[in-house]
Amino acid sequence: MRSHFLRRARRAIADPALQSALDRNAENRQNAWQQAFALLSNGEAMRMQAHRVREHTIENLDSFLAQFSNQLLQNGWRVHRAADAEAACRIVMQIASAHDAEVVTKSKSMLSEEIGLNHALERSGVRIVETDLGEFIVQLRGEPPSHIITPAVHLRRQEVAATFHEKLGMPYSTDVEAMTALARRTLRQEFLQSAVGITGVNFGVAESGTLCLVTNEGNGRMVTTVPPVHIALMGLERLVPTLDDLALMLPLLTRAATGQVISTYVSLIQGPRHADDPDGPDERHLILIDNRRSSLIGSEMAEALLCIRCGACLNACPVFRELGGHVYRSVYPGPIGSVLSPALFGVDAHGHLSKASTLCGACREACPVGIDLPTLLLRGRKSYVESVRQPSFMRLAMKLYAWLMLMPRRYRLAQRLARPLMRLLPLREGWLRCLPPPFSAWTRSRHMPPFAARPFRQRYQAAAMPAGHPGEAPEAAQPTPEPDPIQMMREKDPPARFEQELTAVDGEIVRCSAEEAPALVAERMRQMGITKMLAWGDQEPLMVAALQALKLAGVDCVQPDLPRGSNDERRQAIATLEDAQAGLTGAIAGIADTGTMVLADGAGRPSLASLLPPIHVALLPVDRIHAGMQAWLAAGGRDQIANSSNVALVTGPSRTADIEMTLTIGVHGPGKVIVFLVE
Amino acid sequence: MTIQLLVTCLIDSLFPEVGEAVVEVLRRYAGAVAFPADQTCCGQPAYNAGFQDEARRMARHTIDVFERTEGPIMVPSGSCAAMVRHGYLELFAHDRDWLPRARALAERTYEFSEFLVDMLGIQQLDLDYPARLAYHPSCHLLRGLEIHHQPLTLLASLRGSQVQVLSSECCGFGGVFAVDHEPISSEMLARRLEQIEASQAEIVVACDVSCLMHIEGGLRKNGSSVRCAHLAQVLAGKDAGLR
Repeated sequence: MRSHFLRRARRAIADPALQSALDRNAENRQNAWQQAFALLSNGEAMRMQAHRVREHTIENLDSFLAQFSNQLLQNGWRVHRAADAEAACRIVMQIASAHDAEVVTKSKSMLSEEIGLNHALERSGVRIVETDLGEFIVQLRGEPPSHIITPAVHLRRQEVAATFHEKLGMPYSTDVEAMTALARRTLRQEFLQSAVGITGVNFGVAESGTLCLVTNEGNGRMVTTVPPVHIALMGLERLVPTLDDLALMLPLLTRAATGQVISTYVSLIQGPRHADDPDGPDERHLILIDNRRSSLIGSEMAEALLCIRCGACLNACPVFRELGGHVYRSVYPGPIGSVLSPALFGVDAHGHLSKASTLCGACREACPVGIDLPTLLLRGRKSYVESVRQPSFMRLAMKLYAWLMLMPRRYRLAQRLARPLMRLLPLREGWLRCLPPPFSAWTRSRHMPPFAARPFRQRYQAAAMPAGHPGEAPEAAQPTPEPDPIQMMREKDPPARFEQELTAVDGEIVRCSAEEAPALVAERMRQMGITKMLAWGDQEPLMVAALQALKLAGVDCVQPDLPRGSNDERRQAIATLEDAQAGLTGAIAGIADTGTMVLADGAGRPSLASLLPPIHVALLPVDRIHAGMQAWLAAGGRDQIANSSNVALVTGPSRTADIEMTLTIGVHGPGKVIVFLVE
Repeated sequence: MTIQLLVTCLIDSLFPEVGEAVVEVLRRYAGAVAFPADQTCCGQPAYNAGFQDEARRMARHTIDVFERTEGPIMVPSGSCAAMVRHGYLELFAHDRDWLPRARALAERTYEFSEFLVDMLGIQQLDLDYPARLAYHPSCHLLRGLEIHHQPLTLLASLRGSQVQVLSSECCGFGGVFAVDHEPISSEMLARRLEQIEASQAEIVVACDVSCLMHIEGGLRKNGSSVRCAHLAQVLAGKDAGLR
């Protein structure tokens, strides 16, 4: 297995296109990570807290899982437990077949890769469509993803262009925006056709039975809104106890993964469509999957279960940077993969991966939940050595080395004998140019110093010296951080902070009074040539006034209301909404420190209005803006989540960087977001 | 106070000049130095290779040897110091007899630059060293022991030297990794050597001879004129070159 790994490694190292893609990934992501964490005043404390939260969760997993399952059932979910991959696939297939699904859409889920869901569905005649841009690309190419966050990170735009040309009939073009636009058009039809949408889960919240799903492109929202049935796949360790814990983990996850303060979309899904919801799926299923995870609890590898799958350790790892993900031949590559793969999928096939590391510790430094990956790799090496027969040279060398080192006399003798042996080898300027196998691997790229003629112990002269000046250990002077005036201003003025953050992610802000807002919205839509909008129809005075003004301006405002029961009628209804050029929504809250709007499904508040059209216009009263996510949760956010089937946190326009890490705005969700901040 | 020198097997067998420089610096700035003669290897190579039984036996030997001494234990290697400070605790985590002994040893153990700066409070050295230096932050020193400002403080005090800090990316050594994952190790080394050449430094300085052996071996193979030196060699005013 190790020899195959090394053969693939050599091939990867010799591939210049792959190497430049991997260099770009490492450099961009590491910079983004550093900048994102530098902005946190208490980043280290947050990481330690996150470690404790995850550790506490895993140590008490059974009781949290029971609480979580009960909450989900109360919230209207159908909850399934799957012991292994096969059981999980079987449950998915049963649900798909009960709904006569021919097409299933899926947002990115590494767990679905782990259980081999795509193959299982295809074998049973169901077409499964990946909707994350990177996953879509690798699915077209028939490849597995090469990174847990950026599946197509190994490809250059030329290769993507060739794939789109060959598989989708697109004229060959390396224009990333054009390729992204084609993916949007192609996948939009798939969303509308699919009877079932499948997602993974970033976090399950035990106290409230909430599923948290993090995406940038908007495909996660599409998959969980448009098809009538939603299936979520969740590893049973991906829990946090409370919504406050979620508020701690989320900014760590997105910062570590992509350097974002928050991802564009965070879905907080509470259950299936309520009686008065105009859209959303009629059925939601959660499949809790074990697949050997529970066997790690209480073992010396248990810390690996703390992982939140951000991919930061891959981006930080200098070995991953040379190899890319495919060389590892596991769903989970990089440092965390080299720990998880042997533990979950077998030491025989994957144990050697624990040695594919220099133990440099960059992974531990990057991990947002403080997993001690080098120590886990060392424990993995121990199991590997214990259970898989090592090369006879290695076993012999270790025996000999220990035999020498355990007896100083033998060690000294070996030092004396080694020297004359070395004289037989060719030297240059005192260093050896080549060594016999198996040491020849060293001299392939390095000269080697020979044993010294006289080792240190012989040269050492034990001369007593008067004590020098052993000074007192200096008091470590901790500089107190100066308060940052801009930071203080932002905290005192949440709307200003909101504006700054949203503008930073390409959102647009219009500040106005409640009296001005309706006319300003109407005028702006008229200027943009908009004639049809999807809109909220709740009874808030601001929305009522805006709808009136738009009507007077000749804009047709449609309130989506999907029929229940019949898939065909549902599809037809969605098809009539497709030509709307913009969507108008309110917002139940704003979060200043990330520039985030909170949209909650409910009577007269369809998700589709902020999702289907290419432009999203929102009315946000400034008095609903809270300083941060925790402040929002404390000021009514918890109830808003509990009372809505689906809360979407929206931060700017939809985006992707899946092709050559080139930022592209507007994928499945709106490409333009205009927020009217109403005083 | 007598400083107990855990010189490391690599310095003992391959780089005695580094050991001599360490003793010279310690005697000049710190005081008496003792070299417990029964010391061999801390066991790190076996530990890192997954051979924990062998590593545990070597760790017990090292604890035995140094338990019979008093005073601080000084290790001129980030990775060996990290082995004693962290690795031993992991090796004896479930051993009620040996864990306290390992812990007691770990508490007395310091890396060379850490000892000079944090323990002795040395900030300034009275020394001319006119050279362009590139400091290589070795992984176990930087991330394992979180020692970074200490060697840089000492280097910054040298008169006539220019110090550049190389990126904190691993050089690709990794112990046995350098041989059994040679293609990857060599590729990582190549990137580090490019950075070194681009820095226009004459001497690469670090606190680990293991990484430096790998780096100088690569420099020599490439025919480069750049040489390496352990921090102690620079502080003792020695010329470049590990030996």
